[in-house]
Amino acid sequence: MSTRLPKKQMWIVAASFAVAICFGIAPAANAMHIMEGYLPISLCVFWGVIALPFVIWGFFSIRKIVDNNRRTMPLLAMAGAFIFVISSLKIPSVTGSCSHMTGTGLGALLFGPAAVAVLGIIVLLFQAILLAHGGLTTIGANCFSMAIAGPFVSYGLYQLGKKLHWNKKVNIFIACTIGDLFTYCVTSFQMAWAHHSNVGFAKAMVTNMAVYAATQVPLAIIEGLISIVIILALENYATDEMKSLGFIEA
Amino acid sequence: MHYQYHVIYLLWLLPPLAVLIAGGIRKAWIHRHEEHHHHGFGHKHGEGTLSIDMYAYHSKIGSWNPKLKIGYGLLLLLICLISNDPYVSFGIIFYTFFVTVCLGELDADHYIGLLGIPLAFMIAGSIFILFNFSHTPFSNALVNIPTHWGYVIITPQTAKATVNLWCKAFGAISAMYMMSLSTMSNEIFGVLRDAHCPKLIIELMNMMYRFIFILMDTQHRMKNSAESRLGYTTFKRAIYSFGSTASNLFLVSMKRGTQFYDAMEARCYNGDLRFFEEKKPVTKQQLFWVIVPTAYFVLVWVMTFQGVNINV
Repeated sequence: MSTRLPKKQMWIVAASFAVAICFGIAPAANAMHIMEGYLPISLCVFWGVIALPFVIWGFFSIRKIVDNNRRTMPLLAMAGAFIFVISSLKIPSVTGSCSHMTGTGLGALLFGPAAVAVLGIIVLLFQAILLAHGGLTTIGANCFSMAIAGPFVSYGLYQLGKKLHWNKKVNIFIACTIGDLFTYCVTSFQMAWAHHSNVGFAKAMVTNMAVYAATQVPLAIIEGLISIVIILALENYATDEMKSLGFIEA
Repeated sequence: MHYQYHVIYLLWLLPPLAVLIAGGIRKAWIHRHEEHHHHGFGHKHGEGTLSIDMYAYHSKIGSWNPKLKIGYGLLLLLICLISNDPYVSFGIIFYTFFVTVCLGELDADHYIGLLGIPLAFMIAGSIFILFNFSHTPFSNALVNIPTHWGYVIITPQTAKATVNLWCKAFGAISAMYMMSLSTMSNEIFGVLRDAHCPKLIIELMNMMYRFIFILMDTQHRMKNSAESRLGYTTFKRAIYSFGSTASNLFLVSMKRGTQFYDAMEARCYNGDLRFFEEKKPVTKQQLFWVIVPTAYFVLVWVMTFQGVNINV
């Protein structure tokens, strides 16, 4: 008596399980915020120290802007609030589940990476306190992946694309998508680095990236598409504001 | 194998558990004549309200000294992270449950719903810690699961690391919740200001906090009207509607930002926002709920230190 399924059927069952698990995890596609208590204290401090110079640099650049023109203060605050709201919204996703944008790639294109580093750390603090996404001790690590690494890549790619005269839509899409994917790689790295003692770093990293790829890759593409829609609409309807931000040459 | 220690160590969890149960019974007794409104399981956000913020304003321990609460939340967080001891973590989980639900009188359903937020991250984030992969089965493994490519393996070490991580993470999250579910945001900013955080940052925080609610409300209305006009029926339309809503939101936010500045300047704004802050002195009762448990957790840590760190 054998109840074993033939190999092919086993495969189908395994594959359907894998899909089911991915979809089950998908509701938490905002899961790239490293949760409170996930990192050991030494790494919390380490990532905090790594993120600090960027935040300080951003702080000085913001202070220069504000000292020159106090009127930019509420605009900066609005920009921060905008990033927070965008990143707390459920976006339409293929799985019909709730997922969130990071919003920082878009922020970097609009406001520059220096401002986003400071706004990002405040947004992360708010997310930890008000939404319980991320945490207080992991704020350094989250800040590095979401408010520094991703935005810098997005901004750099966008400037590069502009120099090379790429199509604007393609350029925005690539900048935001790659920035988002880079955030996801950095977070996977941070997580794997923190807990690799039993299985080895390479294995931990690959497994972790595979787990998150199911939700993060589609999400990054959606984020890229949404960023195109947002920026194109802004260029049409908010030309003055975009000029004052320096996004369009006056 | 030293599993017999752990049975004795479990006794350390009894006092916090007893406090929690006693608090629960007391709360149920006080509210015995009130009708229980059931709000349903789970939590929602991004729909015009921030539930944690709302709970913080309704907390019965909102009158506690904010510096004490924040300092204590951070202290428990650090004890939990540094000790890396499941017994301490569980003690903190029970105790903060007691503080938030029994002393702060938050609905237990809501609190458990909030504790569920990190669950998905923890599940996804512990897969690579729990499972090892190899072409050959391990002799010391708890489970070797054969698959097409090789073996999925759970060893005692990986299982222990995962359990430790879950305890630590939920302990830390409870400690953070104890703080964020009882302290109003403006008090947190006040404490940060007293901790010499740069004025510019505090100013930004204060403004951002207020703008968030305006933007969320606006977004909520925009989304409702887009939805009622069938803006979210297909995936393509949903992307388009979401993008348009977001860009519209940006426009509104920039316009309002300028308007606010005008309004503030008309009221003599010179880069310094001052808000009324209630004086909340530290009482003996508050100190009791802080010092006694802290001493207890340190004691638990010292007493279970050896056993927890024995290799499996």
